[in-house]
Amino acid sequence: MVDRGRHRRCVVRSLPRGERELTGPAPSAPDERVIEARGITKGFDGALALDNVDLDLWRGEVHALLGENGAGKTTLSNVMAGIYRADSGVVLVDGVEHHFRSPAQAIEAGIGMVHQHFRLIQPMTVAENVHLGWDDTPRFISTRTLVDRTERLMSEFGVHVDPNAEIWQLSVGEQQRVEILRTLARGARVLILDEPTAVLTAQQAKELFSVMRSLVAGGRTVVFISHKLNEVLEVSDRITVLRDGRRIITRDAAGATARELARLMTGEDRDFEVKSRGRAGDRPLLQVVGATARSARGLVALHDITLTVHAGEIVGIAGVSGNGQTELAEVVTGLRRTDSGRVLIDGVDLTDASPRRFAQAGVGHIPEDRLGVGLVPSAQVRDNAVLHQYWQPELSGKVSLKRGPISEFATRLVSSARVQTRSIHSPVGHLSGGNQQRLIAGREAMVASRVFIAAHPTRGLDVHSTEDVRRSLLDRRDAGCAVLLISDDLDEVLLISDRVAVMYEGRLVGEFRREDADRQRIGLLMGGHVAPASEEAAP
Amino acid sequence: MSSVSDAGHTRRSVHLERRLHVEPRRAALVRLLGVATALLIAGVFLQVTGRSAFALAGEVIRSTFGQRRGLEETAVIATPILLDAIAVAIALRMRIWNIGAEGQFYIGAWAAAGIGIHFNLPTPLLLLMMAGAGVIGGALWILVPAIARAHWNVNEIITTLLLNFVAVTWVEWFSIDIWRDKQAAVIQATPLVNARLPGLFGSTTLHAGFLLPLALAVVAWFVFRNTRWGFEVDMIGGNPRAAEFAGINVRRRIVTVMLISGAIAGLSGMVHLAGAAGRLQGTISNSYGFSGFIVAALAGGSFVGLVAGGLFIALLLHSGILLQTAGLSIYIVLAIYGLVLVGIAVAGGRSSLAGPPGETLP
Amino acid sequence: MKLNIFLAALRTAIDAGTVVVLAGMGELLTERVGVLNLGQEGLIGIGAVAAVIVSDGASSPWVALLAGMLAAGILGLLFATSVVIVRTNQVLTGLAVVLVGVGLSNQLGNNYQGSPVEHTFAPLRIPILADIPQVGPALFDHTLIVYISYLVLPTVVAILLFRTRHGMNLRAVGENPAAADAAGVNVAGMRLLYTTIGAALSGAGGAFLMLVFTPVWSVNVARGRGWVALAVVIFAAWRPSLLVFGALLFGAMISLGFIAQEQNWGIPSFVLAMLPYLVTLALIIIPSALARFGFKVRSSVAPGALAIPYFREER
Repeated sequence: MVDRGRHRRCVVRSLPRGERELTGPAPSAPDERVIEARGITKGFDGALALDNVDLDLWRGEVHALLGENGAGKTTLSNVMAGIYRADSGVVLVDGVEHHFRSPAQAIEAGIGMVHQHFRLIQPMTVAENVHLGWDDTPRFISTRTLVDRTERLMSEFGVHVDPNAEIWQLSVGEQQRVEILRTLARGARVLILDEPTAVLTAQQAKELFSVMRSLVAGGRTVVFISHKLNEVLEVSDRITVLRDGRRIITRDAAGATARELARLMTGEDRDFEVKSRGRAGDRPLLQVVGATARSARGLVALHDITLTVHAGEIVGIAGVSGNGQTELAEVVTGLRRTDSGRVLIDGVDLTDASPRRFAQAGVGHIPEDRLGVGLVPSAQVRDNAVLHQYWQPELSGKVSLKRGPISEFATRLVSSARVQTRSIHSPVGHLSGGNQQRLIAGREAMVASRVFIAAHPTRGLDVHSTEDVRRSLLDRRDAGCAVLLISDDLDEVLLISDRVAVMYEGRLVGEFRREDADRQRIGLLMGGHVAPASEEAAP
Repeated sequence: MSSVSDAGHTRRSVHLERRLHVEPRRAALVRLLGVATALLIAGVFLQVTGRSAFALAGEVIRSTFGQRRGLEETAVIATPILLDAIAVAIALRMRIWNIGAEGQFYIGAWAAAGIGIHFNLPTPLLLLMMAGAGVIGGALWILVPAIARAHWNVNEIITTLLLNFVAVTWVEWFSIDIWRDKQAAVIQATPLVNARLPGLFGSTTLHAGFLLPLALAVVAWFVFRNTRWGFEVDMIGGNPRAAEFAGINVRRRIVTVMLISGAIAGLSGMVHLAGAAGRLQGTISNSYGFSGFIVAALAGGSFVGLVAGGLFIALLLHSGILLQTAGLSIYIVLAIYGLVLVGIAVAGGRSSLAGPPGETLP
Repeated sequence: MKLNIFLAALRTAIDAGTVVVLAGMGELLTERVGVLNLGQEGLIGIGAVAAVIVSDGASSPWVALLAGMLAAGILGLLFATSVVIVRTNQVLTGLAVVLVGVGLSNQLGNNYQGSPVEHTFAPLRIPILADIPQVGPALFDHTLIVYISYLVLPTVVAILLFRTRHGMNLRAVGENPAAADAAGVNVAGMRLLYTTIGAALSGAGGAFLMLVFTPVWSVNVARGRGWVALAVVIFAAWRPSLLVFGALLFGAMISLGFIAQEQNWGIPSFVLAMLPYLVTLALIIIPSALARFGFKVRSSVAPGALAIPYFREER
């Protein structure tokens, strides 16, 4: 089977690529098309997420859906996977028209999707999750039968995880494998992966790619949703670019360049370049010394972290989510206690102080969870804007709030942070994610007179808000703050930071100046491969 | 929990949109609709069981609005209802459900009776002491649930509610046994307290206590509109984690607010004792606590709405008492309350009151 | 002498706890599927009054029992429809059920106040076992419902939840309805079904009250047992076996009250009346307090999506 697949692909490959391009979107032989989507349109609350999109997926290919956040890649996939119903348009599977009313129906037709937010039951085991809602599961179950069946499936598809483990115990990469196994077990011939590498190290991503290739070698189709150009170029056979809900182009991966794809994705020759580097002073504004702390679950999350950020510099912490970054951000902003170690802000020991004390000391924080921690969604924009400053004498007396100054403050903040909102009295939950983040970034930038902590600040944001948020970080740096950026997007870290550190399993495993930063090395460190001392760049 | 980004963010804001999109005016209108529907259903039920809903309604209106006494009686009922409603409403701003207002009412009345029966002092002084006792009694009664909720996330609905049963029994114990008025042959109650609240407008029914909830409502309205304290309470209600991040001491505030809520409910008990009942007995409350809860739920955060709703519910309760002569029990009123509550739930279910009682289940 | 008293107390405790086992098991199923039904107090009342009314005409107590389950089941279905389909706030709606249930049952039961229920359940002696000296009569001479409640029901529920495919799906709905939905489980259907079944079980508890325990109607017949059931579910960490234990504990408190009065221990009846509620209160506070201080007594975590209405993503 594998051989035949490879042979088939070799045959395909032997046709000169250029010739394919010249003859335009040639209709392939009918039986090669496993999915045809025609004229898919979908709107939400008046805004079009998909505008008359066509898509062909062939058997045995890795097909990338490339686009910025908000371009419509996930929406299109959700339509194919039966989660959304298109407003108009049709999806054909093997030539048969389908109008899926539920994910279950799509799975029956052979289409399965692994989402960015895993649909797994945390307190249940891998075996239980694999067998959830599955008619093939025997009526009466026991732990043993489920585990045995799961192990058999794992051998069949070559995907391995401990079947007895409960989901919350697994790493994100392992959880992803459970999702993939589950989808394959249901007989998916088309597997849609939504931003699968967002949570993986470079090494794990490579492993995922080889799984993908072996799946398509077996005749399946993999749809790879991503906004990461390099990866798309590395693993895909064909690429479809979406922008603002429209399909821009579908072409072979061979011969495409990153620059060209980027231009197609954004529609302009945009290059967010950082014009200048920070001029780091000597004054250490943020010092973490030997900090050890536990996570919410009680496991040790930070091991003896020592880190210094000086005035006028941006230090970027690279690393895959879940290696202690959350806890680090919480420890330096008063949201988590340390087991040992110290935190100093401009020389003042604020270890284990309250969030209010940190704010008073001039520490601003863009939290990782903007709706869960950063904002009160049911409250007005105005209230959220002053949430971290309302206690200042300009905005309130000993007892009463000064409503006039508060409204003015909020209005000024909204305008300077470029938050798009109908009024400052709208509930902040109404705003788009990008505008919410602009509000938070603007608010925190005002608090940050000395230190600015940003945890995954541009996650899930569209291009414009991403730029605005990054700009606020740079502005603070230029104003003399110490900025700590935590991000699992290595590109972003390398783009903005003056110094780069890598976190792995709660430890800092490498520190470089931007100029000395080597992508590949950092990637290895992120995955836990420690480089021998002699290769360390001089500090 | 998957530590991946909240790329479901578009999804989340669509979700929230559904919840937040009700404007206050529209919400009030829809609530009224819910109440009207409930009354309609009740009316139908009455018709079906062979009574004329219109005749009854007519009787109610005549008895209540036609005579001065009817209005006064309604106001007397409205006083504890409104006070309890304010107590519940304050806690509700933090999304905390104080169903124990009934029990705190009882204990407040008991504490006030303890002072009022056993001391003989000039009226103003005694009343003041009784009020203090009522406040402390109510606050103490909610103390354990408050701490359990703030520090250990124990569901306050169940804890405060269980204590209601204890409170009623406690008061029964004292009024039937320990403090029983041996001279009064028939009633199982304590002797009269030695200080009573003065009548209002020269009435022998309506007492000065009626002014208290009105005054408190104004104070509460002011506090939540204009003070830092009120702002912080609202933020905790909206998102406790964000409030914590903003530097508010959430746990301490939860206890404080719950204690205030209990204190006001306890004061309500004292006011009713000293103003209307005169003696402590096991039936001193005519479901005032639950009524107050309904009113608070109806009001949806607005203190103006609370006063209006309280007067309406008092009217309902008064009607229920009147209708007992028509062979209906007071329990029909309870059932109507239930329907009203459903009406509110259906109407306002997507706005500010939406959401489970926090992480209150361990 | 002492043993006699203890055994008599045990017998009463078992009977007294039956209502809590039934209503508690019903609520356990409901909460396992992610719905919080605060209306137990009202459901017990409705079940009781329906049993009383039907018992008047019918000849068999089984019919009355069924009537109780049906009446409560209907109210439960209305509640379920409201919170699952319309997605109203579960706390408010549950409280509404209490009010409607208590109000309606008190109203309808008015006429039956004081008159004893005619057709009650007779105890079913289990041969041989009931003849064991001392212990026999205390444990093995109860009505059939008691045996079912304490032995059959918890076993069935436990098997259902932990040993069947259906039960696994059920638990998934309560933990993470979005994930269950994505996996093809009928979330709304499950929630409707088990909320209604739970309500019917509470109705059975109410009927039991009237047909066995205190076969005469009184006002507010449930006497807080609905709330106790809610508390016991939490205490039991949503596990059937522990629920039985908790219910027995409550029953023991009630029974203690009876014994104390009978034996003239000199404790005021009022104190005895308060005891069960105080004990129940302790049952839910103490484990949580201990947990916060680091003593994880057991993993007592609520179903992840409890009381949160499920909005399926835009279709």
